[in-house]
Formats: sequence, structure tokens, C-alpha cells
Amino acid sequence: MNAAAVAADAGAITVRGVSKWFSTAEGTPLQVLDNIDLTIAAQAIVAIIGASGCGKSTLLNIISGLVTPERGDIILNGIPARNFSDWRSISYMFQEDRLLPWRTALRNVEFSLEAGSMPRAEREARARDALKLVGLESFADAFPYQLSGGMRSRVALARSLVQEPCILLMDEPFSRLDALTRAQMHEELLRIQQLKRMTIVFVTHDVEEAVVLADRVVIMAPRPGRIRDTATIALARPRDATEAATARQAHELKSLI
Amino acid sequence: MPEVLESQIHARAPARTVRLNLVLQRLGLVAVIVAVWWLLALRVPHYVLPGPARVWDALKLIAANGNLWQDLGITLGRVGTGFVLATLVGLPLGIIFGANRRLGDFFEPIIPVMNTVSSAIWATFAIIWFGVSNATTVFVVFMTAMPLIITNVWQGTRTVNADFIELAHVLRMPSWKVMIKVYLPTILPYFFSGARLAFGFGWRVSLVAETLGSSSGVGYRLRQAADLIQTDQVFAWTLTLVVMMAVLEMGILRPLENYLFRWKKEAEKQ
Repeated sequence: MNAAAVAADAGAITVRGVSKWFSTAEGTPLQVLDNIDLTIAAQAIVAIIGASGCGKSTLLNIISGLVTPERGDIILNGIPARNFSDWRSISYMFQEDRLLPWRTALRNVEFSLEAGSMPRAEREARARDALKLVGLESFADAFPYQLSGGMRSRVALARSLVQEPCILLMDEPFSRLDALTRAQMHEELLRIQQLKRMTIVFVTHDVEEAVVLADRVVIMAPRPGRIRDTATIALARPRDATEAATARQAHELKSLI
Repeated sequence: MPEVLESQIHARAPARTVRLNLVLQRLGLVAVIVAVWWLLALRVPHYVLPGPARVWDALKLIAANGNLWQDLGITLGRVGTGFVLATLVGLPLGIIFGANRRLGDFFEPIIPVMNTVSSAIWATFAIIWFGVSNATTVFVVFMTAMPLIITNVWQGTRTVNADFIELAHVLRMPSWKVMIKVYLPTILPYFFSGARLAFGFGWRVSLVAETLGSSSGVGYRLRQAADLIQTDQVFAWTLTLVVMMAVLEMGILRPLENYLFRWKKEAEKQ
């Protein structure tokens, strides 16, 4: 674990009074987020759901530092985002796998470590460990075109994990996979979270996915994006999307959207 | 399923028999061409069309008196210099025009104009400016190759995937690393096809330049032999060029391309 993860607040996220406007072609700014308050405990798994256009991806981008809000504060690991420097302890997993086609699986995972000045040998060793963690160690030398959708998704996950993040942000990361592969990725993710204990915040359209994975679900409403409700998922793990209790919980959540 | 994929990954280049078959086909083609040449040469005077045997003797002559390797080296050196200069100028300019839209839009009309200017015109200018010297040929090669490289690199920059840039941005990768790790690998296939085209063009125009404004090199020897009606030597020089281009293409460029772009799907490689 890196130094940041050892700190007491490692992985905790506080969003305080965040508002965001986008400029439009007509010139009138469009408000996408209105006064968002959200506290996420370290090591929690939080899902953000809501109708499209409710600003859930924007909220994730604001937490990641990709987008700066006009109003409000983000506090990461107990440090205000404007003073925060350890961005490499925060990983972001995109909706698409975004594997560089000219790199092998191993070198794609290494990409995450190349922003800094880590020696090549250490990078490679860590990347191999990350591939092993997702069960792809024998595919280290395969190019992306040689891998199936699920395997590519695993490589993308390994790339997000190789920096040993204390926060993992995911924007609909499994939405392009088929149902069976998605369920496998859910298991995989939960197993790794048990092991590495990072905070996971993910955006999803899929209420069942939120119920299976999350400790807490944040439901957002659109125009402008705001938090409508939050729900705690107290179901015992491991959870199965086909079980009655899970289905009931999902049904309740859907009525809140 | 993983076993199937694994075997697919470890499956290497096409089987030996396929390659052997191809070699035999190529040899057959050469044999047909030589046979037709021989038959035609039997019916016409040797100063119009010398036969293969006569050309072979001429080849041995120019190889023995040292002209062959020396002049080939001179021409190759000039083409190489012009080509390297064209790359040094064309690659950065292509990237800049591609990365900066306003600059690109502003300069865009120049490229097609430069591509349509005949190499004979560049050669004429070069003789006015540089006289009979190495610079004349180098300049002509440069002016021909540079627009081709710019065009291709420029086109390559347009295909850089914004998703990869965003990924690098999330990782807080400094922009010079993004250039090397995202831009350059994306542009490389485009640069490569541009460079290949430019090298071929450069090679051809260098001969034009050498016939007009040089006292050495293959182009000069070709003109000299033609002036003296040594048709067999003209053929010998031509044959040398053909063989050299084939060796460069099949021995260096093609294998290099296959290695560099092995990450592409087989279907895309065509």
C-alpha cells in the first residue's frame, strides 16, 4: 500500500455544496449540478444511479478532478481537492476499456504507472501482479485485438488497480459486457475490494448492478442534477441478482428514480 | 475457450509451405520476363534492345571498373539525405498542422500545390540555385518527399483517439509523454506509409535530377550511356535499380512494417 492509503482518512470522499454549470451554444449557461452534498466513508462501495442527464457522470468527473465545479468543495482523504496532489491514488475506469491497440495487455497495464518516474522493471513487476489479480497472467503478451470483451475489461480493471488506488471511480464500467460476463466482473471486483479495501464509487444505469455491488446507493434527479435520495443496501453478501431479496430491493430503488 | 484463444495468440506467421509457394511464384515471374526479353532481343539490333547476356556482360563491366558501387552509393546517399531532411521537416510540421486547427486550415492549400509541381521544375530551380552539385539532387528529393510526409502525418494526427488523451489526462501524464506514448504510436503507421511513398518518389526523381544537374550518380551514368548509345549499359543500370528497390522493399521495409504493426488485426494489414 502506498503512503496515502495508510493515512486515516484514505479513501474518504466529501462533496460539499457542489454546483456546476456548462456553457451552451446559445450562451445561457446550463446548470448540471445543484448543491450536491455527499459523504462517502473510506472502503465503502457507493453506486450513483439516476435518469440520463442527471449529472452523475459529471459528479464522478468532479471527484476525479477532471472537471472543476463553479461552486463547492471536494475533500479527498481529508484534504481539500485544491491542495490535493496524490491524484495517482485515485483511479478512474471508463465505460470503454480504452486499451491502446499497439500495446500488449501487460504494457497497457503499465501505462497507468508511466506518468511518474518508476523504473521499468518495477513497473513490469507490478503490472504482472495486477494481471494476476484479475486472472490474466497468461495473457500478458496478447494484443487487445486477440482478447475477448470480458478479458479486455479485466485488463482495463488491472490498469485501474495497478496504482494501488485508495479510491476507484467507475463510469458504467461493465455496461458494454453481456450479462454473464458482467456478473463475473462483479464477483471479481468484490473479491478484489475485499482484498485491497479501496473505496469504490461507480455510476450505473443498471439498478440490479447497484444492488449487487453497493453498500449505499445515491439516487439523482435531473435538470439540474441533484440528490433525490440515498438508500443503504443491507443485504448479506454475496448477493445474487436472481434472488428474491435482491430483486425486491431493486424494485424499491426503481420506484425512487 | 481460453485454450482456443491462447493457441490463436501463439499461432505465428503463415506456414512455411505458403511462403515457399510464394517464392516459387516470384521466381517463375522473373523467368517469364527474362524469356520474353530474350525472344524480343533476338529480333532487334542490340543497340535498340540488348539481350540478357549482353546486359549481364555490361553489368560485369561496370561492376569491375568500380562505377557500379560508387555511383549507386552516391545516389543512395543523396536520396537518403533528402529523405532524412524531408522527415525532419515533414514530421513535426505534420504534427503541428494536425494539432493546431487554425494553422492547419491556413496552410492546407499549399500541400496539393506542392504535390502537383513536377520534379523537373524543382530540378530546374535546383540547377539555377545550386548548380551541378549534390545539393541539386538532395533538394529535388526533399521537395518531392516532404509534402508527402506532411500529408500523411497530418492525416494521422486526425485519427488520434480523444479517449486515449483523456485516459492519459486522468493519469496526470505530462503532455510530452502523451506526445510520445499516444500521438506517436497513432501517427507511426501513417508516417510509415508516407515515408515509403516518399522514398519511392524520391528515388525516381533523384534520377531525373542527376541526369539534369550532376556529374556522378546513377542518373548521370544513365544519361552518359544513352548519349554514347551504350544501350546495354543503360539496361544494366536500370536492372541494378530494380534489384535494389526490390531488396529495400522486401528485405527491409516490409519486414519492418510487419514487426512494427504486428498489433493490427490481420484484416487491417492488407
